[in-house]
Amino acid sequence: MSRPGFVLEVDERTPALLMHEGEGFRLEKLPLGSRVIYPPESLPGLRDLDARIRHALANPLGREPLHELLRPGMRLTIVFDDLSIPLPPMRTPDIRQRIIEQVLELAAAKGVDDVELIAGNALHRRMTPAELKRTVGERVFRSFFPRHLRNHDAEDKANLTEIGQTRHGEVVEINRRAAESDLIVYVNVSLTAMSGGPKSVSVGLASYRSLKHHHNVHTLRHSKSFNDPPNSAMHHSYNRMAGLLDESVNIFQIETTVNNDTFPDYVGFLNKREWEWNLKDQASYLAVKRANDLAPPKQRRQIWHRTAAPYGVTSVTAGDPIQVHEVTTRHVLRQQLTEVDGPADIGIFGLPYICPYNVNSIMNPILVMSLGLGYFFNLYRGQPIVRPGGVAIYYHPVRNEFHPVHHPSYIDFFEEVLAETTDPVAIETKFEEQFATDPWYIHLYRNSYAYHGVHPLYMWYWGAHAMEHLGDVIFVGGNRKTTERMGFRSASTLDDALEMARERVGRSPSINYLHAPPLTMADVR
Amino acid sequence: MSHLDGDHILLTGGTGFLGQALLEKVLSSYPTTRVTLLIRRRGSSSGTDRLRTLLKRPVFNTWREAVGAEAAAAAVAERVSVIDGELGSTEVTLPDDLSAVIHAASTVSFDPPIDDAFRTNVQGVVDLYDAVARTGTTPHIVHVSTAYVAGARKGVVPERSLDHDAVWRTELAAARAARDSVEWDSRRPGVLRRALADARKDHGKSGPQSTAAAAEERRVEWVEKQLVEYGRLRAQSLGWPDVYTFTKALGERVAEEKLTGAMPLSVVRPAIVESSLRYPFPGWIDGFKMADPLILAYGRGILPEFPGLPDGVLDVIPVDIVVNATLAVAATPPPVDEPAYYHVGSGSRNPLTFRGIHDSVREYFTEHPMPDGGRGQIKVPVWTFPGAKRVERMLRTGEKALSVAQKALLSAPANTRTRHWQDDLTKQKDKLDFLRKYSELYGVYTEAEVIYTDSKLLALHRALPAERTEEHGFDAAVIDWHHYLQEVHYPAITATMRKATAGRRTSSSALPPLKHAPNGGVIAVFDLEGTIVASNVIETYLLAKLCDLPRAGWPAELADLVRRMPRYLAAERRDRGEFLRTFVRRYEGADEAGLARLVKHHLGDALLRRSHPEAIRQVRKHRAAGHRTVLITGTVDVLVQPIAGLFDEVVASRLHVRDGRFSGFLESPPLVGEARAAWLRRYAETVGADLTESYGYGDSYSDRPLLEAVGHPVAVNPDPHLYRHAKSRRWPVAHWKAYTLPVGDAFVETAL
Repeated sequence: MSRPGFVLEVDERTPALLMHEGEGFRLEKLPLGSRVIYPPESLPGLRDLDARIRHALANPLGREPLHELLRPGMRLTIVFDDLSIPLPPMRTPDIRQRIIEQVLELAAAKGVDDVELIAGNALHRRMTPAELKRTVGERVFRSFFPRHLRNHDAEDKANLTEIGQTRHGEVVEINRRAAESDLIVYVNVSLTAMSGGPKSVSVGLASYRSLKHHHNVHTLRHSKSFNDPPNSAMHHSYNRMAGLLDESVNIFQIETTVNNDTFPDYVGFLNKREWEWNLKDQASYLAVKRANDLAPPKQRRQIWHRTAAPYGVTSVTAGDPIQVHEVTTRHVLRQQLTEVDGPADIGIFGLPYICPYNVNSIMNPILVMSLGLGYFFNLYRGQPIVRPGGVAIYYHPVRNEFHPVHHPSYIDFFEEVLAETTDPVAIETKFEEQFATDPWYIHLYRNSYAYHGVHPLYMWYWGAHAMEHLGDVIFVGGNRKTTERMGFRSASTLDDALEMARERVGRSPSINYLHAPPLTMADVR
Repeated sequence: MSHLDGDHILLTGGTGFLGQALLEKVLSSYPTTRVTLLIRRRGSSSGTDRLRTLLKRPVFNTWREAVGAEAAAAAVAERVSVIDGELGSTEVTLPDDLSAVIHAASTVSFDPPIDDAFRTNVQGVVDLYDAVARTGTTPHIVHVSTAYVAGARKGVVPERSLDHDAVWRTELAAARAARDSVEWDSRRPGVLRRALADARKDHGKSGPQSTAAAAEERRVEWVEKQLVEYGRLRAQSLGWPDVYTFTKALGERVAEEKLTGAMPLSVVRPAIVESSLRYPFPGWIDGFKMADPLILAYGRGILPEFPGLPDGVLDVIPVDIVVNATLAVAATPPPVDEPAYYHVGSGSRNPLTFRGIHDSVREYFTEHPMPDGGRGQIKVPVWTFPGAKRVERMLRTGEKALSVAQKALLSAPANTRTRHWQDDLTKQKDKLDFLRKYSELYGVYTEAEVIYTDSKLLALHRALPAERTEEHGFDAAVIDWHHYLQEVHYPAITATMRKATAGRRTSSSALPPLKHAPNGGVIAVFDLEGTIVASNVIETYLLAKLCDLPRAGWPAELADLVRRMPRYLAAERRDRGEFLRTFVRRYEGADEAGLARLVKHHLGDALLRRSHPEAIRQVRKHRAAGHRTVLITGTVDVLVQPIAGLFDEVVASRLHVRDGRFSGFLESPPLVGEARAAWLRRYAETVGADLTESYGYGDSYSDRPLLEAVGHPVAVNPDPHLYRHAKSRRWPVAHWKAYTLPVGDAFVETAL
C-alpha cells in the first residue's frame, strides 16, 4: 500500500530539498517552519493492462459493451488526446496505442470499414507523423496514415459543424467527421483533475468560435481552481457544451489515469522524498546534477525531451463520459491530493522543463508563465496555497528563447503585446481578435506545425486568476529582461527572493512549498 | 589720412570671413562711406539675394541692435549696392566714382585643384584690375594677400615686394592647360584599367552598370587628385608650401604689374586670421579657420601628437585688427608709382609660440573639458613634439595597420562583433585621415621659423589720431594672449562643438516608421537569404537532397558537394548569377512533383526554422500598412513556397523542366545585383507605385542597387561591405537574429 501525501514542516533535521528549475534542478535549504507539500507515494500500476482494457470495453459504465455498439456500415471515429498529455510523454507502447488497437480489433471483427482516427489537438500544433506514430503505434500508423489518421483542423471551415448553442449562448462547433459519425470513441489520458470527461470532445475537437466561450479572462478568473471542476466556471461551460453534444452525438469514452512514476530509474531520486535517498540516490543526484549543469543548454534540452516516463496505469474506465469521468477523477485525486492546513504568505514552486505545449520544443517565457501561474498555481482545491495578496516564488531560468516554427505568434505576442501591456483584460480586448484571425498564423497552424495565433493569449489568460490573487511574483534565477517584460521580478537566490517578498508580506512570513513534479494537488482547508 | 569720408569703396569677397567684418565696420563706423559689393550669383540666388542672406549673419547683430532694425535697413538701402556678376565677363561694368577698391576675394581652401586656385587668385585679380582700368578712374587699390606669400623660408621677411622669378603669365597658362591634360591622361587605358579593376572588386557583384558608374567616379576623383598634386608640387618646386600661397604671390605680381604707375596700390598681408578680439563682439568668427579644427580635434582627444616645432611661431591675428588695418591702409593711398606693403600679424612683436598654444589649449580643455555624450568628459593628450619625422612614421604605420585590418574585416564573417570592430576601425581611420590631412596642410605653418616684420603697419597705427586708436587701432602688441585665447577664442570655437558632443550618441539603427498607404502605392521589397531566412542556396539544397535520399546515400552526396565546393565558392566570388547557374546543375534529373511534395511535407518547416521571426513580423507590418510586399530571390521558386503567402509578388529562379524532370538549367537569367533594381523599377511603373516612398531590405552588398532604388533602404544583418556602405549612407541597420534555430538543430529536426 502506498503512503498518503503529507505536509512536512521544515526543522533543523530537514535536508536540503529538491527544486526543479527548467532543464535542471537543485537542492535548496528552506527556512525553518516552511511547509512542504508532498504527493501520495506512487500508486501501483495495473498488471496485465491489456486484459484490463478488454474488461473495461466489455463492461462499460452506463453504455452497452463496445462490441455491441459496433455494426457493419457504420461510421466510427476514434479521437485521442494529443501530445500535450501525459507529461513527460509515457514510455511506448503508449496507453492510447494499446486501447486503440483493441478498439480497432473489435471494429474489424464487427466489419466496420469506415474508421477515422483524429488527434484532439484543438488549437495546439499538429502532431508530426513521427509523433502520431509514437502515440498510436507502428501498426495503426501504417494502416491509417495519412488518409485516415489525422490531426483535427480547427480552421478547416468545410470540416467543422455547428451543433448548436447552450442556454448561455455558447456556440458548440466541432469536427464535422466526428459530429457526423455514428459513434465517437474517445481515448483519454487524465494527468490532472482538469482533463477528460466533458472536456474531451467539446474542447479537443472544437474551433476558436467555440473555445472562446470558456478560454477567456472572465471564466478563468472564476475557475478556482480549474483543477477542481465543481468550482471551475470553465468546467461549468464544458458541462453545458457536453450536455448539448450528448443530444446529438454518441460518445463512448475510455479514460485512463497514471501513477506518479514520472521519472525513469536513472533519475529515480526525483520520485523520492529527500531524507529517504539512499547512497545510490545521493550518488546519482551528484552525478546527474554535475553532468546536467555541464551540458550545453541545447543538448540538455534534447536529453530531457528524450526522457520518457515509466508511468504505471492506475485505471482504465469506459462508457458514458459523465459516469466514467467520476471514476477517473477519483483515481487522479487518490494519486495527487494532499491535505494542507491553510494558505501561507508565500508559495514556492519549482517549475520543470516541460509543460503541455513544449513537447519536443522550447519552453518559452510565455509558457513558463502559464506553467507557473496557470498549471502549478491552480493545483489546489479549496483555496490556493498562497493567501490573497501573498507572494509566489518560482524557480526557472525564463530564458529568452522561442521555437520559430512551433510558437511564431508567441514571439510577436512577447515582443509587441507584452511590451505594451500585461493586463489580461486589456490584452483580450485589444488583441485577441487580431491574433485569432490573422491569416498568416492560420496558415502556419494549418500547414506548418504552429500553435494557433490566439494560443499565447490563452496562455496569458491561464494565469489571470493567479495574477489577480497574488501580490507579487518572483522568479529565482529568472532572466531579468524576460521576467520584467512579463511584469514579474527576478532574484538570484531564494534569500533575495524572500527578502523581496518580505516587503509585501511582513518580516516573518509563512511559506508553503508545493513539491512537484511528480504532480501534487493541495487540498487547502 | 582721410577716414574715408564720403568715399565709395568697391569690396570683393564680401561674403567671406574678412569681407563680412570689413562691411560691418564700414556700416557701423564710417557713416558717410558707400560700399559696392561684387557678389557672384551662386546657384539660383542672385548677388542681391546673397546680400540679403549675408546681412542676417551674426556679424551685423551688434550694429543692428545699436541703431535699430529700421535704421540699419535704411543705411543698407542708402549705402550698399551690389554688382551681380562674374569677373572676366565683359558685361560687368564698375561704377566710375570709386575712391578705393578692397580686393578681399580668395580661394577658401589651401589645396584646391591647380586650375581653381589660379582662376580665383590670379585670373580673378587680372579681371578685376582690368575692369577697374576700363572705368577710366584711378581709385586706391587695397590688395589683400597673405603673409605666407613669402614662401617657405627662414628668418625675417620685410614689408616689400616679393623676391621671386616666377612668371605669372606662364604659370597661369600652364594651370589652365592642366585640366585638359589631366582629363586626357585620365582616359588612358592604364588609368581606366585600374579604375575599372578597383570598381569591379567592390561592385562586380552588383552588375555592370554599378561597376561602370563606380569606375567613372574613380576617374573623376583621380582627375581632382592629380590637379591638386599639380598645384602642390608646382608650388613646392618654386619655393611655396602650397598652391594657395603660390597663387596669392602671383596675384601680388599681377597687381604690381597692372597698377604700378597707373593707380595707387597697397598690399595688405595678414597672417592667420582668427576670431575677433573686440569688434563687432569678442569672439566673433565665421566657420572654422585654419588652426581651429586642430584645436577642436585636440579638445576631442583625437590629436595624440602633432608635427610642430615647440619654439615655432604660430602667427595668429584677430580679425578686427586686420579690418582696422585694412581700412586705415585704404584711407592712406601711397604714391602711384610706389606700392605700399603691410604685414598684419603678431609674430614680430607679440609672438605666440607653438608650445605656448599647446599649453594654453591644454589648460583650456583641462579646465573646460568637452562633454563626452553622457560619458563624462573627454581626456586630452599631452604632446611631446617628437618632430615631423616621428609623427610621419607614426602616421604611416597607423595607416598601414589600419588598411590591413580593414581589408581583413571585409572578408570576415558578418556578425555583431565584426561590425563593432568595423565601427572602431572607421573611427580610427577618420582620426588618422584627419591627422594626415592637417599635418600635410599645416606642417609648414607650424614649423615656420620666420618672422614677418610690421614696422610700416606700426607706423600707420601710430599716425592715427589719439581719439581713434581705441576703436580703429591695430597694434598687435595690445593682445594679451592668455586673455584672448582662454576667454575669447576657445570659447567661441568650441561653443557649437560642445552642443554637438553633449547629446548622448544614438545609433541610427531605428527602422523607418511605416506610413499607411492603402492603395498599394508603396512597395516593400525583401531579399530572402540572410534577410528573411538565415539559410542559403547550398543549405536548402542539401536539406532537400538529404530528406530525399536514403541514409546510405548521404556520405556520397556530401562528399560530392564538398569536392565541388571550391568551384561554387569561386563562382560566387565572381558573380552571384554565375554561382546560381553552376549550382542549380545539381538539380538535374530531379523530379519536379517529388520536390514539390518534399517541400510541402518536410522542407517548408525547415525554411521557417531558419527564418528570422523579426523579418517576418516586418513583412507583416508592411502588409498591415497596406504596402505591396515583394520577395526577390535567386532561390528556386518551389523552395520558397512556404513563405510565399506573405508576399504579393514573389520573384524567384525557375528551373527548366523537361518531361517532368529538371534539366539543371534555369528558365531565365537569375535576378541578381542591378537586375533586381531594374526589375523593381519596372514593377513599380506597372503597378503605379512610388519608389521614393518604398522600402527595401537586403543583407549583401550585391543588394546595393536594389536598396538604392528605394527611398527607405534597410541593411539587414549586413555583410561587411554593405555594412560599411550603410554606415556611410546612414541607412538603418537591423540585426534580425533572435529565435532563429541554428543550422544544426534545423537539420536534426528536419532530416532525422
